Amino acid sequence: MNFPQNYVSQLMEKITTWARINSPWAIHFNSGSCNGCDIEILATLTPRYDIERFGIKLRGSPRHADVLICTGPVTRQARERLLRTYEQMPEPKFVVVVGSCGISGGVFQGCYNVVGHINEVLPVDAFIPGCPPRPEAIIDGIVKLLAHIQRGTRPALVIKPGVQEAA
Amino acid sequence: MTTETLLQRAGELLAPFAKGANNPETNRLDVQIAASDLPTAASALMNASWGYLAAITGMDLGTEANELEALYHFCEGAAVTTLRIHLPREGCPEIPSISDQIPAASFFERELGEMLGVTVVGTPDPTRLFLPDDWPVGIYPMRQDFKQEQAAAVEPDKTPERGWAGNKFIVPIGPQHPALKEPGHFEFSVDGEIITGARMRLGYVHRGIEKATEARNWIQNLYLLERICGICSHTHTSAYSQGVEKLAQVEVPERALAIRELVAGLERIHSHLLWLGVAAHEAGFDTLFMYSWRDRETVMNLLEELTGNRVNYSICVLGGVKHDIGAQHSVSIHKALDYLEERIRYYLDVATTDSGFLQRTRGIGMMSLEEAKRFGTLGPVARASGVKRDVRLDAPYGAYKRYPVSIITDDRGDMEARFVVRMKELLVTCFTIRTIVDNMPGGGIVTRFPRKIPAGETVSRVEAPRGEAFYYIKSGGGESPTRLKIRTPSICNWTSVLNKAVGHQLADVPMLIAGMDPCFSCNDRMVTVRRKSDSNTMTWSELREYGIKKYGPRK
Repeated sequence: MNFPQNYVSQLMEKITTWARINSPWAIHFNSGSCNGCDIEILATLTPRYDIERFGIKLRGSPRHADVLICTGPVTRQARERLLRTYEQMPEPKFVVVVGSCGISGGVFQGCYNVVGHINEVLPVDAFIPGCPPRPEAIIDGIVKLLAHIQRGTRPALVIKPGVQEAA
Repeated sequence: MTTETLLQRAGELLAPFAKGANNPETNRLDVQIAASDLPTAASALMNASWGYLAAITGMDLGTEANELEALYHFCEGAAVTTLRIHLPREGCPEIPSISDQIPAASFFERELGEMLGVTVVGTPDPTRLFLPDDWPVGIYPMRQDFKQEQAAAVEPDKTPERGWAGNKFIVPIGPQHPALKEPGHFEFSVDGEIITGARMRLGYVHRGIEKATEARNWIQNLYLLERICGICSHTHTSAYSQGVEKLAQVEVPERALAIRELVAGLERIHSHLLWLGVAAHEAGFDTLFMYSWRDRETVMNLLEELTGNRVNYSICVLGGVKHDIGAQHSVSIHKALDYLEERIRYYLDVATTDSGFLQRTRGIGMMSLEEAKRFGTLGPVARASGVKRDVRLDAPYGAYKRYPVSIITDDRGDMEARFVVRMKELLVTCFTIRTIVDNMPGGGIVTRFPRKIPAGETVSRVEAPRGEAFYYIKSGGGESPTRLKIRTPSICNWTSVLNKAVGHQLADVPMLIAGMDPCFSCNDRMVTVRRKSDSNTMTWSELREYGIKKYGPRK
């Protein structure tokens, strides 16, 4: 048999993508949120909305996670910890922002201890607006992200100067 | 005792130190004292068992007056006694600590020190609680002349900190940790599995809301304060509107007050069921977690039906409420409560009979009545130790005079009692909600409200699901508040958790923390394993290099 040279690596790529979209493990980091989004994320995981049917599971360690779910504006004290959590995640990694505060700073714009929104610190793949977004919206956002991963594309990244380049 | 006799008694106790006293409102007594008299004055109140320290408000009276003011609010029943202490603004204002008489004061004193630059002499831990590590020294955000530019990040102090735990092994927990749903940082010193000391650092979700209120008008603040906490958002809006309505002397329609109490009841159900799930999860009982969160969706549906939103309901507006409740709502409320009551009874049964679960709760985190009082605990944590403390009964506000609630206490004081108290409270709440729905007063739901609020100051207290929320509101007569102090119940309960952790196994820590139902976003309004300059610390790239060297390059 005469396989193309990179046949094995292409096959492996396909298998990993298949595995990734069937079981994206997530980690949740609250960098200054009011808890509103956090309880809706938790509600998404529990029986009524049951996001585990998509293979999505919340992990305790960033080293096991593919998706970082961020909530809240970024406070000065949480900034470095958010970055550190992101850095610990293995590649490829995706960032999903849940809630208005993480998108724009929300009502906390201009507060002395708030650095800004998540996109000023990390490159973000998906934004889920709402204050807080309904669990259905959170599921929709994550499913859209999975569709991108399946097609082998990434949502257009908005990278601000000074923000880490995603690998 | 009536409020008048309570205030009279406080006046007598404080008479030896008083430089002046007055009654700004019928339930309040303000006493001016000198800073040096503070410990003796506080002892006089404590020795006579007069109330508990509810909050310390620090205020900057501005460059013209050139003075700072510290207000120590003590509450007993509906009576609020405030010790007012004037301090110089320039130089180094000093105030003696009262945390040896009142352990709960320690957190308030840390806040006073870092926010206003008052040196609290003798406070056990003067390190930062809320402000970030890279905040410059000598810049205080609650000063009136504070500007954002002054707070440019500085290199954090990296000198090794020694001494608090001696040579003990320290286990850091947080800010990102599977047992914590919100970021907080704890350090437990351990001897084997047994905890010998504990301390805490908050500030990961500190946003600076108190300062932000001063730059927003009275109406905008309603929406900002709602977002102090997504779990008890209605508590904050109702406490704020109640205080501002008192200042503006606006009479709120009876029907609006009834709707506020109704929503507060639904919020309590959602919050306690949420807590039940999280606490069960910490105990490793995930089935109960999933069950309680499934049933919680029933009350979320109700909230959505009544207010249009699941989490930040925004039902309170200044002068009333936004939505009325009709006959169709009362049908769905009764139907939902029928289901919930049955489920709550089942959870009460599980929490008191499941043997595996009882091993994690019975006898854990024991707190006696005396300790609960001394630590200044609030809410279900206090009531589970037999402290009869509930603002809804002590100082009925809003519609609570019309639709009273009964108090649930338990004298066992362990984790199990905290489960029992919360579940029984839910049954009481269901009963009250039914009473309100069936006996709704008629009339309008909102009155006209002025844009500017007359100058004055007031105290507003409401019972949140976690305990008493305390608001101090001062108006200068303009379109925004001069000072708004918010004290939420979680910060009062931390003292008890940190003290009670000592002597327990490390594995009990998640349960102990969950037992008080902490809400970080409320009290912040945190591991970095401590940055020591010794050779055991590695940066991320050093660790990577080390790993590559140790295991060889990737093949």
